[in-house]
Amino acid sequence: MAHSTPTPLAQEERETLRSFIADQLERGNLDLPLLPVVANRVLLLSNDPNADASQLSSLIQQDQALAGQILRIANSPAYASRTPIVSLQQAITWLGLTMLAGLAFSVSVQNGVFHTTGYEPEVRNLWRHALATGLFGKEIARRIRHNVENAFLCGLLHTIGKPAILHLLSQSPGNSVEPFSWITVESLFEEFHGMAGSKLAAVWQLPDPVQETIRYYQDDQYHQAISPTKGAMITCLAHHLASVMLENSTHDENSLLTLPVVQDLNFYPEDMTALLELGETVKASVECFLP
Amino acid sequence: MTSPIPFDLIVIGSGPAGQKAAIQGAKAGKQVALIEQTREVGGACVYQGTIPSKTLRESALQMVRFLQATEVFEFRMRDDVKITNLMTRLDRVVRAHGKFMKDQLTRNGIDCFHGRAGFVSDHEVRIQKIDGTAALVTAPIIIVATGSRPRVPDNIPIDHEHILDSDSILSLVYLPKSLTVLGGGVIASEYASIFALLGVYVTMVDTADRPLKFLDQELTDEFCEAFEKTGGHYRGGQKIATVQWDGCSKVTTVLESGETLESEKVLVALGRVSNLEHLHLQATGIQPTTRGLIPVNHHCQTTVPHIYAVGDVIGPPSLASCSMEQGRRAVCHALGLNPGVAPEHIPMGIYTIPEMSSVGLSEQEATAKYGGATVGRARFHEIARGQISGMTHGLLKMIADPKGEQLLGIHIVGEGATELIHIGQMGLLHNMPIDRFIDNIFNFPTLAETYRVAALDIAKQRQH
Ligand SMILES: Cc1cc2nc3c(=O)[nH]c(=O)nc-3n(C[C@H](O)[C@H](O)[C@H](O)COP(=O)(O)OP(=O)(O)OC[C@H]3O[C@@H](n4cnc5c(N)ncnc54)[C@H](O)[C@@H]3O)c2cc1C
Repeated sequence: MAHSTPTPLAQEERETLRSFIADQLERGNLDLPLLPVVANRVLLLSNDPNADASQLSSLIQQDQALAGQILRIANSPAYASRTPIVSLQQAITWLGLTMLAGLAFSVSVQNGVFHTTGYEPEVRNLWRHALATGLFGKEIARRIRHNVENAFLCGLLHTIGKPAILHLLSQSPGNSVEPFSWITVESLFEEFHGMAGSKLAAVWQLPDPVQETIRYYQDDQYHQAISPTKGAMITCLAHHLASVMLENSTHDENSLLTLPVVQDLNFYPEDMTALLELGETVKASVECFLP
Repeated sequence: MTSPIPFDLIVIGSGPAGQKAAIQGAKAGKQVALIEQTREVGGACVYQGTIPSKTLRESALQMVRFLQATEVFEFRMRDDVKITNLMTRLDRVVRAHGKFMKDQLTRNGIDCFHGRAGFVSDHEVRIQKIDGTAALVTAPIIIVATGSRPRVPDNIPIDHEHILDSDSILSLVYLPKSLTVLGGGVIASEYASIFALLGVYVTMVDTADRPLKFLDQELTDEFCEAFEKTGGHYRGGQKIATVQWDGCSKVTTVLESGETLESEKVLVALGRVSNLEHLHLQATGIQPTTRGLIPVNHHCQTTVPHIYAVGDVIGPPSLASCSMEQGRRAVCHALGLNPGVAPEHIPMGIYTIPEMSSVGLSEQEATAKYGGATVGRARFHEIARGQISGMTHGLLKMIADPKGEQLLGIHIVGEGATELIHIGQMGLLHNMPIDRFIDNIFNFPTLAETYRVAALDIAKQRQH
């Protein structure tokens, strides 16, 4: 992952940030920055009468924040169907594309599309990783003939706590001077992203399997998930695959094979080879949306 | 690899067929190795077949009964009963059943291996483990029980996202508004009727003019009527040209007639294929049939006498009930034990809504064999139990010889059919005359009474 020039923070400064974030999380002050590239394209497409519906549909599925917001709005009393909307695909079918384009537009505007945080390359890497996890999740689910839509959504949103923390940092005391070092940010992610993600997921009433995945996607925790969709387990492996593909992992392809989650999903070496071979396709899809 | 570990019996696959084979072997005092490629034991029956589909069906029925009861008892059900609730219940039942099976194997001292089995020779099996290592086992008797999986037709791009098969449909997280079901067999009909009952707009498409063509037509007519009443549609005599996801919100199924059907999801239920691909059967000399099945004799013995094949891997009837019995009998035969009398009459249970079941000869088969048949009918709504339970559908059809004296077959459609059938099955096994059903007392009010009513219907025809 690309790092901005580290600005060594005094221990007490880091402590100040920690307690700021902990305090904000406690109060539930959470929001998400929207990815400008995707938001821009949504704006363009939703204003183009000749736009292909499938383009808009796939675009909406590329951005964590947009996806999360759309699920939230689709489940709000104004739009809600009799049954909860638990998948993006379902939201698209239920609400119809015109309505979605409108929603995407308003979400984009509300989120301050052109707002910059000072961590643009790093943020882009976060999105790339989330998207790659979603796309690998799809392929894992397909192989075990499990729910593909849910696997994608769980992967896309599993680290939604990270951008939420960045957003908080942008409002923190001391932010006005210059961006904090990425090392510091990452250590804050490490500590808080699960909690921030869980809170956001609960406040936004994201679907249960997604909430569960955000809480339990890590290696030593997925066993705690009880949702029948296997979202946490699939996302755990997808997360590792995405990290290896994007080269920000301590694992190499061989050590991936020894992960307990590989065994728990009944993936034999040849299954893993087939999955790894999809890496290029996943990469291409990610780059296509986030050049 | 080190030298092979010796066993008395090797069983490949832990579905109903493999399990019963392994348990029979262990009960006979043999050292048994059971090889299963997934971490969980129980096979398709527990994870993708019988248990989950029946649990989903039961949940759907309970939900609908509840909804109906709300009108009578004036209470309200939560608006947002989610399919995930149904699926969570399903998952719980499946997990409990899986655990029960594992405990049963452990209790019987069976050595379970988690790995993929492939023959090295006709006596040796290689177990490829998930971590890439391998082990070798050997035994004088080997039972193949590797089961089956859904067939993927060449022209249908099943993506488990918009176009599903009978495995992936079980992980749905929401009810689609519409579902096209391709196929008219047991699995297609079961899922079509469950989803129609849950309020999904279901269209079944098949080449046959009616679903479940192998069943007595009166049964399928009754099923179709109930299916259509819940909002389902059957499109018979149709061939599928293409199936395609539009990249946005619907799947288009184009029929060869040129007609198109649009739906949110498609379920492909066009048969199953045997799991042979990892077995390396060529190392044994066994030649699969052109339909990809392992050919066996009536003892489930393959062309290599010490290798047996049981369950779905040998083809129809492809029922968990039969698979278990095949597994048990094969091991008895291999060990020279008496397996008992071979089952003469295999009942068929189909868990559509309403459910259907049959045993023995159909009206057409009886006519062909005896030059005619006497048929007695009893409708559920004509008997007290049916009226109390508000059953509008339901029929028991009793088939007798032309003189109307000997019971030859029973066919039932209606709730409880799969349980009720066993009375008829016992009657058949004991060559029961029709009059035994008349000169008898059944509990009142019960659905079992339909046996008496149908028998009386036959007796009435005898007098003319
Ligand atoms: C939707 C659905 C509904 C059904 N409903 C009913 C019903 O109501 N009543 C009924 O009687 N039947 C029903 N069936 C049929 C029933 O599930 C099957 O007939 C039964 O499971 C077959 O048992 P089996 O042991 O032959 O194979 P399976 O249950 O398929 O088990 C085979 C096992 O072998 C393992 N295996 C495969 N290859 C290897 C290998 N190389 N090495 C190691 N392990 C291997 C598999 O992982 C699997 O666990 C239904 C099926 C489906 C799909």
